[in-house]
Amino acid sequence: MSENLLLVPVFLPIAVGVLVFFIPKMVKGVREALSLLTAAIAFVVVFLIFRMEESHLFISIIEIGDFNLHLDLLSAPLASFILLFATGFGLLISLFSASYMAGKERYKEYYGYFLFALGGTAGVFLANHFLLFLIFWEMVTASLYFLITTGEPRAREGATKSFAMIGASDACLLMGVGILWFLNRTFVISDINLPAEGWLPVLAFLLLMVGSITKAGAVPMHTWIPTASEGAPASVMAYLPAALDKLLGIYLLVMISTKIFVLGYSLGLVLMIIGAVTIIAAVMFAMVQHELPKLLSYHAVSQVGYMVLGIGTLTPIGIVGGLFHMLNNSIYKSCLFLCGGSVEKKSGSNELGDLGGLSRSMPITFITALIAALAISGIPPLNGFASKWLVYQGVLETGKGGSFIFLIAAMFGSALTLASFIKVIYSVFLGQKSKYTEKVTGDSGFAMVFPVVVLAILCLFFGIFYRFPVEQFIAPGVGVSLTPMGIWESPLATILLIAGIALGLIIYWIGRAMRSVRTADTFVGGEKIEAETIRVEGTYFYDTIKELPLMEKFYLSEEKGHFDLYILFGKLRAWITGALQFLHNGILSTYLSWSLLGIIVLLCLSIFLL
Amino acid sequence: MIYTLCFVLFLIGLYCAITKKNIVKIVIGLTLMEYSANLFLILLGYRKGGVAPIVSENMNITEFLATSVDPLPQALVLTSIVIGLGVTTLAIAICIRLYEKYGTFDITEIRRLKG
Amino acid sequence: MNMALLPSMVAIPLGIAFFTYLLARKSSILADILGNLATFSILVISILLIKTRGVYVIGGWNPPIGINWVLDGLSNLVLVVVALISFAATIFSTRYMEQYTARYKYYSLFLLMVGGMNGVILTGDLFNLFVFLEVASVASYALVAFGCNHEELEASFKYLVLSSIGSTLVLFGVAFVYGATGYLNMASIGGIMATGNQNTILTVAAVLFIVGFCIKAALVPFHPWLPDAHPSAPAPISAMLSGVLIKALGVYALFRILFNVIGLNQLYGTLLIVLGLLSMTVGVFLAVGQWDFKRLLAYHSISQMGYVILGVGLGGYILATGGSSSVAALAILGGIFHLANHAVFKSLLFLSSGSIEYSTGTRQLKEMGGLISIMPVTRTTCSIASLSIAGVPPFNGFWSKLLIVIAAIQAGFHAVAGITILVSFITLISFLKVLRYAFLGELPEKLKNIKESPALMGVAQAILALFCIGMGLLLLPGPREFLLEPAVNALIQGVEYARIVLSGS
Repeated sequence: MSENLLLVPVFLPIAVGVLVFFIPKMVKGVREALSLLTAAIAFVVVFLIFRMEESHLFISIIEIGDFNLHLDLLSAPLASFILLFATGFGLLISLFSASYMAGKERYKEYYGYFLFALGGTAGVFLANHFLLFLIFWEMVTASLYFLITTGEPRAREGATKSFAMIGASDACLLMGVGILWFLNRTFVISDINLPAEGWLPVLAFLLLMVGSITKAGAVPMHTWIPTASEGAPASVMAYLPAALDKLLGIYLLVMISTKIFVLGYSLGLVLMIIGAVTIIAAVMFAMVQHELPKLLSYHAVSQVGYMVLGIGTLTPIGIVGGLFHMLNNSIYKSCLFLCGGSVEKKSGSNELGDLGGLSRSMPITFITALIAALAISGIPPLNGFASKWLVYQGVLETGKGGSFIFLIAAMFGSALTLASFIKVIYSVFLGQKSKYTEKVTGDSGFAMVFPVVVLAILCLFFGIFYRFPVEQFIAPGVGVSLTPMGIWESPLATILLIAGIALGLIIYWIGRAMRSVRTADTFVGGEKIEAETIRVEGTYFYDTIKELPLMEKFYLSEEKGHFDLYILFGKLRAWITGALQFLHNGILSTYLSWSLLGIIVLLCLSIFLL
Repeated sequence: MIYTLCFVLFLIGLYCAITKKNIVKIVIGLTLMEYSANLFLILLGYRKGGVAPIVSENMNITEFLATSVDPLPQALVLTSIVIGLGVTTLAIAICIRLYEKYGTFDITEIRRLKG
Repeated sequence: MNMALLPSMVAIPLGIAFFTYLLARKSSILADILGNLATFSILVISILLIKTRGVYVIGGWNPPIGINWVLDGLSNLVLVVVALISFAATIFSTRYMEQYTARYKYYSLFLLMVGGMNGVILTGDLFNLFVFLEVASVASYALVAFGCNHEELEASFKYLVLSSIGSTLVLFGVAFVYGATGYLNMASIGGIMATGNQNTILTVAAVLFIVGFCIKAALVPFHPWLPDAHPSAPAPISAMLSGVLIKALGVYALFRILFNVIGLNQLYGTLLIVLGLLSMTVGVFLAVGQWDFKRLLAYHSISQMGYVILGVGLGGYILATGGSSSVAALAILGGIFHLANHAVFKSLLFLSSGSIEYSTGTRQLKEMGGLISIMPVTRTTCSIASLSIAGVPPFNGFWSKLLIVIAAIQAGFHAVAGITILVSFITLISFLKVLRYAFLGELPEKLKNIKESPALMGVAQAILALFCIGMGLLLLPGPREFLLEPAVNALIQGVEYARIVLSGS
């Protein structure tokens, strides 16, 4: 009986998703309610699954010779722990969407795809058969595509690019799964374990790795995330690229580097290099962005670097750190995207230059965004620090001479992240009001505020009591025990920090009370000036980075798409197509001579070979 | 030997279809190819000095079988000629329409569809 | 009992074609009714015949003298597919063909083509096959030229020339086989081949058949007529041409003759694999660069035919080299299933393109945009078909491609599997391009006032879309046993075909 429970989080959302498409246009509010209810049920059921023993459901579907496809679901501890988060995000973002998507043109389909993505994600985490895994994985991809298209008309670029790039990685995944079958003669995930030695296993690992890092969005397969952020609804960005896709991609990466393959040092090094490059490159791009969603999406890429770096260390603490960072990242990154969505909904713009001074009119959003921004920058005692701390330890533990480079890269990236978020916080919430933000009077409604508050509280909780999830769930899930975890006593440090901040505040208040200050309007030459003309945009300071001598070339070629595999592949493809089109010149004689050539070749082959 | 000549006829037709620019000549090339096939079929069933394959009541069947030509290819060729006629008619009709539209019989100028 | 229905598969379309031409000159509604009636009745009959197997002897003359028609698993499957697509196409035609005159000519040519295809599928006689091949081909030449504009006539002429050469080669092949064996009945020839005599004449005949049918099936390098001819025809005809004609006349006939009549060997298997790979890659690279919607689809037909040939050729190769028969069966299953799937989704795509053309008046992707909010039915069906052809689960195209890929890997052909996957990916890209330019983005100013296409056209699209979603279920053990598995077995049995057919008569 209990194993039948595994079907619920997978097929309930899919079934309700289909149902949603058939609800007539007139009926309002039912879709939102259904989606919320389904996500809630899925969440509860996953919680039950998480609490019960490891259970296994097996229903045979297709068996043709050596080919088989079974409904083979397994609730492994790690997978169900991550799935708990995934459904939790589903629940929160479903609530957020109810308010955020209201009034948008295509919100009707939105919930259908939303639920498909949820069901697909649950399927990926529970699947114990590689083809089943692949089917659900691809379902998430397709849902992402359609979810992005529900945004503005310009979202079509991002949607196409996302589907194309993830589609490419899914193709790699399929090939990798095929080679794994060839090596092991089985599709059952839990039965596969082989050392990554020899060209075929290494090829299989690399193919699967491409699949996973594309989903998660690491360099060089990251470019779909920033493009998708242009025009896609903020809730979609928070839901898939920021949360679920990270969970899926990194989960697969952990699976292939710990359970499915036994990796050697060199493949680990490949992962570490990818991680380090991702951290630095993406954060460099992030700093100079002017659009809030695009900036956030570059950070979403940058943070993946830490996860890949942690897993690439191949040390228990590094892998656990990577996984923990994955969870933390999805928490604060969705929080940031949702805050961005909130701001956009209220002010009508997501250009950093257009915003400013929202801290007074949207205080809750400001505080949650601040917490999440500090968390992503790795400020103790928030969760981002805790997981980065584990990753650093993992890097150090590899003990090789080069590991210092990775450590420096990671820390440098963290510093740049902070720099970039100071810009965000300043441009959006501090400074003077702009013509967009002047009319904003109150914070968003409950449906949009509640999810971000929950996420911000989780940021704090996971930062202060980080030992609890790490020691209880993640480490056992990976199958390692962590003996030394550094000397970071988070609760104690938190108390000290709070005491320090409180002391600072008291001094500030006392100081302000003692001094008497006169305030006056700004004036030049006796004339008062319009507030608008002396507004300083936060983005302005960071444009200098673009003009640094070395950086200039780097940014220029990024803008031209020299680092974008999608564009490079497109060029190659266009060249081949052009050559072939040149051959098809429309003259019948040419075509006839090809046929003649074909006949001659075939005849010669058959006569001489037989 | 005589089969080789059929093949040569086929090649002439193919050559005509490939190198000629006039669409009517291409159609003629097509019919040449078709006729070479028909000829080939007929020759397959031909027997030197054989009698026509018509059985009358007072004939010795074994002797008839030994001397008559094979009737089957003849039946086939009749059918195939009729089909060939249909195709050629259609081709010529299209040629006329093409001339009306493009004002030329030159195949290298009838190339709006390409790439 | 059911065998008595067999001749009606050919007789009904040919007969109604005749009567349509005779009776429906004045009334286009009568032509619509007759056309739909004919396709509906052959759909019903083909479904009734699903479990029937047997041989129908025409005029009581037993083979090898008389002509016999054979209904086995493979012909059964293809019959059902042809009937289904024809039915959808005629429903679609009722409104779509309002743009053209001479409805009665249209339907009689249409039914002539259907009758010819059914004849090719059912016949057990080589020359009979050639005759039906020509009946269907001639009807299709005329249908391609139906619009009588520059492009249509040009395309039709190119198609006619290349295709007639194909037919001539097939006729030569028939003559060679007759010369070498003295039979025209496929089963009898197969019986001789089963005794294992191979000679050069038969090899040459096999090559002639391969080339002839490859021209009909438009495999690279014999393909250039297809991208001209298929887009030029009216949309329902494009659906028929791409959906079933190239399969019935080209691929089906090729498989039947190579597997059941001449008998496979390693060479033919290799040739099929190479032709398949070549068609897949060349077709898809050309397709992705097109801006004319229907031309893009036409190039994809070449590429997808490559999958079918590859799958079945792979199976044939494995059988001929004595590899694992279960892997061979899987490859052939993948190929055959892809044949059926491609018929459904490609027809659906052509019908969708017809809908778009009907509403917007253009086929150029660059002139469209933002149709997503205006054409809800078409965009749904078109998205479903696009995902199917791109191989996204759970739509039907995914399953057949998956089977082919897995079979290639199981047989140890990693590179073949890799190319298959790559082509599938480029297919995805090109359909993303279609969706992006046709449906997403801003609506151009001059398309502001257009409407969704008429409901009957939507019905035809919806029927096929349902099949796209549900056809994956055919792989489940139950349905597989009575539709796909017999088709695969019909090919695997190879020249055993002779014994079964001849003993059955």
